Amino acid sequence: MISPSRLRTAQPRRQFQDRLATAIIVVGAVAVLAAILAIGIFLLWHSLPVLAMPLPSITQKLTVLAWGTLKAALFTLLFAIPVALCAAVYTALYLPPRMRHRIKPALEMMEAVPGVVVGFIAGVILAPWVEQHLASALALLVWPPASALLAGLVWQALAPRRLPFNQAWLWLIPWLLAMGWLALWAAPLFEHYLLGVDLRYVLETRLGVDYATRNAMIVGIAMGFAVVPGIYALADDALSDVPASLMEGAQALGADRWQTLWRVALPAAGPGIFSAVLIGAGRAVGETMIVLMASSNAALISASPFEGMRTIAAAVAIELPEAAPMSTTYHLLIFAALVLFLFTFLVNTLAEVVRLRLRSRLLRLGGGV
Amino acid sequence: MNRKAAWHGLWPWLCAASVALSLLLLGLLLTLLLTRGLGHFWPAPLEAVTLTSGETFAGEVIREAELPDRSGQERLYFIGNRDNSAQDSHGTRFRWVSLDTILKREAPAQLVRLSRSPWGDFIGQLEAFEHSGQRLEDNAAWQALSQALAQPKNARPNARLTLRPLNGEAFIQPLAEVYRASRPNAMSWLSKVRYWADGVGRFLSQGPRAANTGGGVWPAIFGTVVMVIVMSVIVMPFGVLAAIYLNEIAQQHRFTRLVRIGVRNLAGVPSIVYGVFGLGAFVYGIGATVDEWFFSASLPSPTFGTGGLLWASLTLSLLTLPVVIVATEEGLARIPDAQREGAVALGATRLETLTRVVLPMAAPAMLTALILAVARAAGEVAPLMLVGVAKLAPQVPVDATFPYLHLERKFMHLGYHLFDTAFHGDSVQAAIPLVYATALLLVLIVLVLNLTAIFLRHYLRRKRATT
Repeated sequence: MISPSRLRTAQPRRQFQDRLATAIIVVGAVAVLAAILAIGIFLLWHSLPVLAMPLPSITQKLTVLAWGTLKAALFTLLFAIPVALCAAVYTALYLPPRMRHRIKPALEMMEAVPGVVVGFIAGVILAPWVEQHLASALALLVWPPASALLAGLVWQALAPRRLPFNQAWLWLIPWLLAMGWLALWAAPLFEHYLLGVDLRYVLETRLGVDYATRNAMIVGIAMGFAVVPGIYALADDALSDVPASLMEGAQALGADRWQTLWRVALPAAGPGIFSAVLIGAGRAVGETMIVLMASSNAALISASPFEGMRTIAAAVAIELPEAAPMSTTYHLLIFAALVLFLFTFLVNTLAEVVRLRLRSRLLRLGGGV
Repeated sequence: MNRKAAWHGLWPWLCAASVALSLLLLGLLLTLLLTRGLGHFWPAPLEAVTLTSGETFAGEVIREAELPDRSGQERLYFIGNRDNSAQDSHGTRFRWVSLDTILKREAPAQLVRLSRSPWGDFIGQLEAFEHSGQRLEDNAAWQALSQALAQPKNARPNARLTLRPLNGEAFIQPLAEVYRASRPNAMSWLSKVRYWADGVGRFLSQGPRAANTGGGVWPAIFGTVVMVIVMSVIVMPFGVLAAIYLNEIAQQHRFTRLVRIGVRNLAGVPSIVYGVFGLGAFVYGIGATVDEWFFSASLPSPTFGTGGLLWASLTLSLLTLPVVIVATEEGLARIPDAQREGAVALGATRLETLTRVVLPMAAPAMLTALILAVARAAGEVAPLMLVGVAKLAPQVPVDATFPYLHLERKFMHLGYHLFDTAFHGDSVQAAIPLVYATALLLVLIVLVLNLTAIFLRHYLRRKRATT
C-alpha cells in the first residue's frame, strides 16, 4: 500500500496519524512476540542451575515424573484414540455433510467442559464407585462396544428401512444405555457365579495386585473424555479432505465401503490422523487438573492400570507453590516445566507442519472443501 | 456374501457406536450435574426412623448401598445435629443404618430442619419459641419462627428456641444463629418450589459457610468475573494488534508463517507452564522488585511479591493470547481484498482503511475471540493455583476504599473453589452437593460462552456467504 505522493505533501496530519498507527501496531505485535519469547527464555534461564546439581538426584526425581506422565498419556490415548478415530471415520465418511456439521460442534462441546469438573467427577464420584464395583466397571468398558457389533448383526438380519445407517449414531444411544444397564445387572451375577467373591478382593489377595482408588484406569477414562474431541476434530478434517474422486475410483474398481476406507481414505489421510494423535498426546501430557484430582499423585514407577502415578504437571502444581524461590526444588521444577514446554511445543509444531503439508497435497489431488 | 464381507459390514457399527458413546458420555455428565446440582436445593422429605433397638432418630435419606458382606442393604441418612451429645457418633452428620434393623419409618409433618451457623443443620422438633418472657409452643412456635425469619437479619427479635432432637435432650438455641427453617413434610408443592428458588438464590448471592458445606459461592463468582474482566482488558488490545500486524502489515514471507505457527502452537502449551512463568517472572521477579521500590515500608510481608489478582490476570492473558490472535486473524483473513483495495483506491490511508472498513467488518470476529478467551479463562484452574487464587479471601478485590480495584489482593475462583471443597474440606461428604452445584454453574458459564461463540461464527459464515 503506497500512498500517492500528492497526499503526503498535502495532508501531513493524516500521514502522521497513519504512521503513528502503524508504529503502534508494530509495537504491539513486537510486545506480543517478546512476551512469547520471554516464556521460553525465562524457563531456560531459571533451569540453568540444574546443570550444577549432582546428576543422580535429578534423574531419580525426574524419571519417576516422566514415567508417570507417559503412563497417564498412554492410558489416555488407549481410550481416546479408538473412540476419536472411529467417530471421525463415521462422521467424515458415512454421514451426509449437513448432519456432520451438526454433530461436530456437539462433540467439540466435550472439550469445553473444564478439566476441574471432569477431575471432580472422576476422582470423587467415579473412582470410589469403580473401587466397589470393579467387575461392573470392567463389564461396562467391554460389553457396550461389543454390543454395537450385535446391533449391526441384528440390523443386517432385519434390514429395517426406517432406521438408515446414517442415523445409527442417534438410535445407538438408547441401545448403548440399555446394554450398559444390562452389563450393570449381569456383572455382579457373573462375578458371584464364577468367583464367589468380589473381583477386587480376588485381585488383591490371590493375585497380589495393589489397587489404588484413584488409578491409571480412571485417569485414562477421564482424560480420554477431555482429549477425544481434539483428536476427533483434526482427524475428521483430514478424512473429509480426502478427494471424493479417489474413493469413487476405488469403489468403481469393486471395493466395498470398508475396503475403500481402509485402503484409500486412511492412507491418504494418514499424516493428518498422525498429527491429530500427536495433538492429543500433547494435550494428555500437559493436562493438570484431571491428573491431580483423578490419580493418587503417588510418585511410583509401576505399569499397573490399578495404580496411580505422579505426572510432571501435577508435581509442578503441588510442589511449586511450596518451594522457596531460587531453591533447588524450585529450579528442578522449573526444569520439569521446561521439559513439558519443549515437548508440547515440538510435538505441536511437528503436527502442524505435517497437517499443512498434507492439506496442500490433498488440494493438489483435487480435494478440499 | 462371504465371511470377510460380512465383517466389513459390521466394523462401521463400532464407528457409529463411538459417536453415540461420546454423545452419551457428554449427556450423562450434564444430566448428573443438572440433577445433583439443582436437586440439592429441593426440600427433601425428612424421616423419623425407629430402630429395632428402640432408638428413634430423624434424618434425610441420601442413598442406599449393599452391605460389604453382601448380606443385605444399608441406607445412608443425613442426621445433622452435630451438637447433640446423646448421639453415639458425636460430631458426624451422617449415619449408615442397615435395613434389617429398621422397625418403622414415618414422615411426621412437624419435623423441622433449621440451618444454623456454627453447628450446621438441625433436624428434629421445635418445642417452643420464647421471646420477651412469652412462650409459644408447637404450631404457634413454628409460625412465630417463620415470621421472625422472614424479616431482615438485623430486624429479627432476640428470641430463644427450644429444640428437641428425636434421640436426645431438648436444648436452647438462640435465634440469631438460625438463618433458615423449613418443615419439608408439611410443605405444599408450590412452597417447595419457592423454597428451592430461594435456595438457588442464596447459593448465588452468599458467601461460603461452615467449611464450605453450606452457604454459597458469591465471592468466587465475583472473583472469577473481576479476574476475567481485567484479563480481557489486557489481552484484547495486544491480541488484536498482533493479529492486525500478522494479517495486514507484515509481508507474507517465511518469518511471518513461522510466527503464525508459533502462536498457534502456544495454544497447545499446557496451562501449568504459563502458571510457572507467572509465578517465576511476575510474582518472584517483577512483584518482588515493585515491593522493594514502592512498598518497602511493609516488607518483609509482600504486597505485590505474592500471588494476586494482577498476576493471575496477566498470566491468563498470556494463556488466552493465542486464542484471541487466531480467532481475530481468521476474521481478518475472511474479509475480501477487494474491500481494502476499494478503500485505498478512494485515497484512504492505512489507518483509515483499518478503522473505517476492515475493523468494522472484523468486529464480530473480535467478539468471538473475546468470548472464546473468556470461556477458556473461566474454566482454567491450574495456573491460578500458582499465581494468586485463595481458598477463602477475606476481602473482595473491588470495594469502596481508594483505589477501588485492589490488584494485589488474592481472590476466590469458582474452579479452584470446586477443587478445594471437593479435596481439602474437613467433611467432603457433606460438601459434595454444593460441589455439584458449583460444577454445574461453572459448566453452564463455559458452555453458554462457547455456544455463543459457535453460533456467532456460524452466523457470520452464512452472512458472508450470502453477500
